[in-house]
Amino acid sequence: MTSGGKNKPLNVIIIGAHPDDGEYYSGGTAALWAEAGAKVRIVAVTNGDAGHQSQGGGVLARRRAAESMRSAGILGVSWQSLDIHDGEVLPSLKARNAVIRAIRTWEADIVITHRTNDYHPDHRYTGQIVQDAAYLVMVPAICPDTPRLEYNPVFMYLQDDFKKPEPFRADVVVDVTPAMEKKWLSMDAMESQMYEWIPWLEKKLEDVPSSPKERLEWLKGFLGGEFRGWVKGLEEIITERYGADYVSKVKFAEAFELCEYGRQVSRGELWEMFPR
Amino acid sequence: MSEHLRVIMIGAHPDDCELKAGATAALWAAGGAEVLLMSCTCGDAGHHEIGGGPLARRRREEAKRSAEILGVESLILENHDGELFPTLDFRRDVIRAIRNWKADIVFCHRPNDYHPDHRYSSQVVQDAAYLVLVPNICPDTLALEKNPVFMYFPDHFSKPCQFIPDVIVDATSVMEKKIQSLDTMDSQMYEWLPWIDRQLESVPKDKGERIEFLKSFWNEHFHSSAEEFPALLEERYGAERAAKVRYAEAFELCEYGSQPSREQLWEMFPC
Repeated sequence: MTSGGKNKPLNVIIIGAHPDDGEYYSGGTAALWAEAGAKVRIVAVTNGDAGHQSQGGGVLARRRAAESMRSAGILGVSWQSLDIHDGEVLPSLKARNAVIRAIRTWEADIVITHRTNDYHPDHRYTGQIVQDAAYLVMVPAICPDTPRLEYNPVFMYLQDDFKKPEPFRADVVVDVTPAMEKKWLSMDAMESQMYEWIPWLEKKLEDVPSSPKERLEWLKGFLGGEFRGWVKGLEEIITERYGADYVSKVKFAEAFELCEYGRQVSRGELWEMFPR
Repeated sequence: MSEHLRVIMIGAHPDDCELKAGATAALWAAGGAEVLLMSCTCGDAGHHEIGGGPLARRRREEAKRSAEILGVESLILENHDGELFPTLDFRRDVIRAIRNWKADIVFCHRPNDYHPDHRYSSQVVQDAAYLVLVPNICPDTLALEKNPVFMYFPDHFSKPCQFIPDVIVDATSVMEKKIQSLDTMDSQMYEWLPWIDRQLESVPKDKGERIEFLKSFWNEHFHSSAEEFPALLEERYGAERAAKVRYAEAFELCEYGSQPSREQLWEMFPC
């Protein structure tokens, strides 16, 4: 798994809005990539300092950073936050420049982000900012403090369920069944999200067990349905990539859509870049 | 084509209007229309060796020379290249420009073209489409009494929707003029664009040879509309002439602004 003929490991940067987004939507793929020798970085554009029912501000941001670092260690990837306040991402020049610098510093071959119609405004604007960076990472007079990329990365979208103005269409799918244990553990490390904020928002806080082992089992039940649901609608592309015999064996999959901005690759080339 | 038609083309950078619609602009100008090519940025970042004020000044000179060749006017807003956002200030500048030109037709990029400056300038022009009529918006500049027709330049992006042409113009007779107009923009055509495309070494020193390079560099782009929309060409020009069209420029009607019938739209465009 090398970057298009450059004979160096593939560099992947996954730019999510919050600490847990990259992990949630693509943690399995990130782990498989890392196992295969790719260098993967997960970026949280915000520091996650608002998404909690009883904590907030700098204290919460520090907790989220510590959780994300532990989670990244489990997945075998590195992690970075752009330190924008949670719930306050806007397509500003400052945010765009921070994203341009992150992509360039990582010397990314592949950049993965949200679609611009995902559910949270931070997700949508993160998608927009990354799209806006797609051409400008090549332009040397933009952020001249950080060397430009000589080759345009491939830009990809994470999966979501929104249909307007158009639904997500998978260009590549990864069977993450073998990486699922790692993904579960990486989420388990993000306790302020998985065992506090998200259950609270869903009115299920009282269901969360207190023992660490029971908690993990609870989490698998809590999110397993949604994760398994991602396979639905992907049967065709799973068959194409893994063969018909394989469909029944794929319990968990993560899919990605090619963005029209950035380098345009054939499906064959794209599939070559992704772990299998 | 109406002789007193007033046309403003709004691109993001000095060279965008010229590349997308230079031939149509030249045909209109030759037919008596008043045409203004406007760039929303001063182009002060799109270069590998020069930048800032000196680059902006050079781009301004190039745009002026290019406009003279096409027989049109040129206007450049002093926004930094690569930094356009849909702000109120920028929108007001666009509203004033459209009003000052008393435009009947306004052109802009589509909001899903490749460069963020293209996308945001498009959004701002779309946002201006209704407001040019509202007297209390920018009360310092007389509101238009008639809503202009707004048109998009073509591009090849398909999400959320692809470019669908509503009118096509045979550019064959003015293609030399268009190429001459681009040839004067040497900081773009012979420096920046070949550089970012890794073809700088292929650019000849000699001026005569350089223009041949330009033709081959843009060959696909110059031919694309004629090749992609033969049915529309035939509809507008008839089979016999359509068969002879080597170069064409196509445009899509924007849903904001005045909504002419196809016949009315075609009547406005040079034939």
